[in-house]
Amino acid sequence: MSAPAETVTVVRRPRWLRVVGVLALVSTAATVWLGLWVTPPDAVQHDLVRLVYLHPPIAWVALYLAFGLSALASLLYLWRRTRSMFWDRLAAASVEVGVVFNALTLATGMIWGRPTWGVWWTWDARLTSTALLLVLFLGYLALRRVPADPEVRARRCAVAALIAFVDVPIVHFSVIWWQTLHQGATVLNANLSPTIHGSMAWTLLLGFIALTLVFVWMVGVRYQIEVLADRTGAERLEVSLAERWAEGDLDTPAAGGNGHGIGTTGSPVRPPTRVGQ
Amino acid sequence: MSYVDAGYSIGLGVLFLYAVGLFLRRRSLERAVELSPPPGPLDGPTETGSASGP
Amino acid sequence: MWRDALLVAGKDLRIELRSRVALWQVLPVAVLSLVLYAFALGPARHTLAAAAPGLFWLAVLFSTVLATQRSFAIESGEGTRDGLRVSGIDPAGVFLGKAAAVAAELAVLQVVLWAAMTLLFGVHVHTAWLAIVASFLATIGLATAGTLYGALSAGLRVRETLLPLLVLPVLAPVLLAASRAWSGALTGPVSSGESWLRILGPFAAVYLVVGIVLYGPLLETS
Repeated sequence: MSAPAETVTVVRRPRWLRVVGVLALVSTAATVWLGLWVTPPDAVQHDLVRLVYLHPPIAWVALYLAFGLSALASLLYLWRRTRSMFWDRLAAASVEVGVVFNALTLATGMIWGRPTWGVWWTWDARLTSTALLLVLFLGYLALRRVPADPEVRARRCAVAALIAFVDVPIVHFSVIWWQTLHQGATVLNANLSPTIHGSMAWTLLLGFIALTLVFVWMVGVRYQIEVLADRTGAERLEVSLAERWAEGDLDTPAAGGNGHGIGTTGSPVRPPTRVGQ
Repeated sequence: MSYVDAGYSIGLGVLFLYAVGLFLRRRSLERAVELSPPPGPLDGPTETGSASGP
Repeated sequence: MWRDALLVAGKDLRIELRSRVALWQVLPVAVLSLVLYAFALGPARHTLAAAAPGLFWLAVLFSTVLATQRSFAIESGEGTRDGLRVSGIDPAGVFLGKAAAVAAELAVLQVVLWAAMTLLFGVHVHTAWLAIVASFLATIGLATAGTLYGALSAGLRVRETLLPLLVLPVLAPVLLAASRAWSGALTGPVSSGESWLRILGPFAAVYLVVGIVLYGPLLETS
């Protein structure tokens, strides 16, 4: 039984998270100011190049930071020596934030692509694999929402995150291959990567740092939400059980039969009694 | 509105809205935790697995 | 592990032979989908012939989802999964066995689909070895990844809608590579089709290994 072991009833917000949040805000604002006003336009792309301070950093966070972290955390959860709900919650937080960044990668990429290539969408290798990655991790979020014992859910989600992550390089290579064998696609890839120097390079670096900080802050808060949600879920169940017990009502047979609900024990597996399966 | 403006608005806007969303979710959950009764010892029939959640 | 795998594979296939669900439901749906593709794309022969490899593998892909769901539906009876676990069978063996059974069903399915495709779309396989090798590798990949996700969503009430969402994105590279490989085998240059085996091989290998490693942890007291 996932009995709550915490004795702390007051949730304290850690100081470091607040600091990270402030830093994230400041550095992002600085990036925007530098990116939009201080840095010069590009010779080829003119003002469009300003999107380079936003799109690649967002992509980096989504594809490497967020999903990499979720895969690592999932691995650490599954490995017995390091197993702890901490990793499960961290993975979940990381995936959710990662999905947001992933969607933004696609959005900013399309916005950059439209004036550059003339089309909103193209089956360019990077766009395609980013889109597929989004669906992969939406699946994780869908799996997460299915009610189950926290440990069962954690295990399923950890495996899901890992097998999705393993698929990423395969997707990447297949789609690149797909495009290079298909004539005409390589032209489109080139234009999104301008050569960077001077103040542009520093601003780009700042952009990476700023969005990484944003990511860290978001995962931190989302992690806290996960902890709180587990706690209120467990407490709510105990309250409702206590109420039922008081009413002398606990002989009622379980509805549904598979014992799925927040906080219910995962074993023994009951034979499903649902109708029409 | 230029593409650059659109890109920055959407990118930063979504991040900002999501951040606000996180803030609000955390706050409402913190309130829920503070207001609900402290977790007592769990006695009752859950051990036999016969009760399911709400 | 291998003996356990054979045991489990044998059990699954014997259940199939007796219940004939794959035969009477999955196979007809797959053939039906080929007909539906023709409805969707129009009767012009050259369109269908050009699209044939992709459509074939789409049909196989969706059949994989069905076959996988079926593979785990038969386990949902009274304490079957517990029984398997308690009997001391190596979980990796269970994985291999179930995947092998699914692969066998998919293999039979592909033979029938190939015949249907030849008939309905008017295409012919020029380079048989390429088609067969590609099928072999792709089937292993589909069966192993499918079984892994099947176990992951097993026992969940929403698994009918969840399993496709989870497994189809992962199988996308197989769809891509197998279609291109078969395109090479059916019409186009063999060399370009052949190069796609370099995706199918690693995919199959990766998910075979991942399945063997992760199936045990996944099934722990689930």
